[in-house]
Amino acid sequence: MDRVDVQQLKSGEVNLGTSIMAVQFKDGVVIGADSRTTTGSYIANRVTDKLTHVHDRIYCCRSGSAADTQAVADIVHYYLQMHAQTTGTPSVHVAASLFQKLCYENKDALSAGIIVAGWDKDGPSVYNIPLGGGLFRQPWAIGGSGSTYVYGYCDATYKDGWGRDETVEFVKNTLALAMSRDGSSGGVIRMCVITEDKVERLFVPGDQLPKFWEGDEVLPTAVAWK
Amino acid sequence: MSIMELNGGSVIAMVGKDCVAIASDLRLGNQALGLSSNFQRIFPVTDRIYVGLPGLGTDVHTLWEKFRFRVNMYTIKEEREIEPETFAHLVSSTLYEHRFGPYFIEPVIAGLAKTPSGGVKPFIAATDLIGCLNFAKDFVVAGTASSKLFGMAEGLWEPDLEPEDLFETISQALMNAVDRDAYSGWGCVVHVITKDKIVTRTLKGRMD
Amino acid sequence: MATSSVYTPAGFNFSNQIRNTFLQERGVPLPKATSTGTTIVGCLFKDGVVLGADTRATEGDIVADKNCEKIHYITDSIRCCGAGTAADTEFTTALISSNMELHGLSTGRKPQVVTAMTMLKQMLFRYQGHVGAALVLGGVDATGPQLFTIHPHGSTDKLPYVTMGSGSLAAMAVFESGWQPNMTRDDALNLVKAAVAAGIFNDLGSGSNIDACIITATHTEMLRNVETPNERVQKERRYVFRRGTTAWKTESVRKLIVNEETTIIGGDAMDTS
Repeated sequence: MDRVDVQQLKSGEVNLGTSIMAVQFKDGVVIGADSRTTTGSYIANRVTDKLTHVHDRIYCCRSGSAADTQAVADIVHYYLQMHAQTTGTPSVHVAASLFQKLCYENKDALSAGIIVAGWDKDGPSVYNIPLGGGLFRQPWAIGGSGSTYVYGYCDATYKDGWGRDETVEFVKNTLALAMSRDGSSGGVIRMCVITEDKVERLFVPGDQLPKFWEGDEVLPTAVAWK
Repeated sequence: MSIMELNGGSVIAMVGKDCVAIASDLRLGNQALGLSSNFQRIFPVTDRIYVGLPGLGTDVHTLWEKFRFRVNMYTIKEEREIEPETFAHLVSSTLYEHRFGPYFIEPVIAGLAKTPSGGVKPFIAATDLIGCLNFAKDFVVAGTASSKLFGMAEGLWEPDLEPEDLFETISQALMNAVDRDAYSGWGCVVHVITKDKIVTRTLKGRMD
Repeated sequence: MATSSVYTPAGFNFSNQIRNTFLQERGVPLPKATSTGTTIVGCLFKDGVVLGADTRATEGDIVADKNCEKIHYITDSIRCCGAGTAADTEFTTALISSNMELHGLSTGRKPQVVTAMTMLKQMLFRYQGHVGAALVLGGVDATGPQLFTIHPHGSTDKLPYVTMGSGSLAAMAVFESGWQPNMTRDDALNLVKAAVAAGIFNDLGSGSNIDACIITATHTEMLRNVETPNERVQKERRYVFRRGTTAWKTESVRKLIVNEETTIIGGDAMDTS
């Protein structure tokens, strides 16, 4: 039997060639994403919100096909509403397991890489559900095409026991680095801080992203060579 | 080779003053080989509606029988004759039902609709092979010579032609178009529909 | 049973599938359906939403319809512009319009734009992109003015100004340079007109006239052919043929009016006194 290439998007499909991230800290989680949605080389949406609400204190970060991840998130959102009505407030693990079930059982038809994060009575947690439909609990997770550029940065930078502000800075810097190297990521940074008390939305405009080394100005150097 | 070119054939319909005309060639071929010069692809639906079915020969018959069945069912249920616009939607729905395995036919519909005052209003329409309706006010074309027919009709057609003038215009548009199409020709038939009669003429044209 | 029944089941019919895939495997390509290589746009303004569309339908490189309608009715205060496979946009919007009417009747409320959006995205997702409808959905409901795009695979975006179709790049360039928050109705209409015009003149798949639709909380105004920048000029000469130009071989006349004539053959007329 021919192997199905799960990475392959259907022709003309809207793609979230993305940089997404979620990090756990003492009181909650910080999730973040860029805002670029592309069809081929065209940016179909430059202010996309890839941080999707699925329950009061549970969010997901979507990467892969926009249609597939929206459909999966809508279904999980519906399931969690039913869960809340019948059994009580769902835990992050329940939400993540629902995502995992859908992603695993339909792995041949879906291209979805999802990070589920949130706060429940056992505290904050981050779950990564990469392409094949696995489920991994991690203290921090990155995903999407932009994530490959920043694994080293995350490994070198992350420390246990951070507070809220340090975690937000870490997410912001990581995403800025990923967005600068990955052509399929860009726009603005959207972040959410999910704690017991509230869900706080943070926004970094495209012209106020953290800056790192960008090389010398091209023009003076070129003039100097002459 | 496209499946639409297997048997060849073209249809055109035009609006005139209180009249409509629909015309087609009479060729049925197997690619370059001509098989018949008397292939009917325009059919009477009611007294005042005609439908032309250019495309794959086998589907001409299959679809016409399907339309005939559905129009008869409509007539029995509604106890009245179908109106041209209603028939156009019947054609459209029938084709879209086969959206993922279509009939290779691009129907052309011509007829006279009844007005509330008892008069008649010319109606023409065409659809693509999956039933996208195109209501035109002037003319519609389909088939292997459609690109040539578009050019001819665009140049020759003008509003408010009397039935006899409409006959000349549609005939010349069709004949000159099919003469430049290898898959259409071998004789033509023209129907001019007016309030009180339908004139059907077969044209004298090239047979090569 | 099914063959003798006069009723056809709802939904698509796949009876030609085997034949058509056989033909395709033999190297016969399937013909192209009418597509609306289109410019469709939408834009929010102070108290509503404006939708815009060109009026060209194409079949390959042929202009199949020079003045088609691409702004489809969903409900009184919701409209939908369609790009992509013309038949798909036509039937998809008609189906959702029908379901929205029923939904409104069963809930007893005016249906929301998100409801139409959800119905459309779930249907398009179910068909995995095979129903080739790219839509701009706009309207006003209890939650205010709403504007969405829906891609053929079922993904949606919610934005203050949107474009779709082959002319979307030209139209988006106009929006990106001219759009402002809280525009007036006239400014929004002019911007939409400029965006569609950019598509008409710079994209080969778009052409002819501009249709627009202004939806506010109280009123929906469909402006069919608000701008006709490509009017055909009057022909300088006519090509009417002299009657008798075309030589024909046979003629048959089908008379639709039955004339009844009474010929008295013999005897006296009936005494009616």
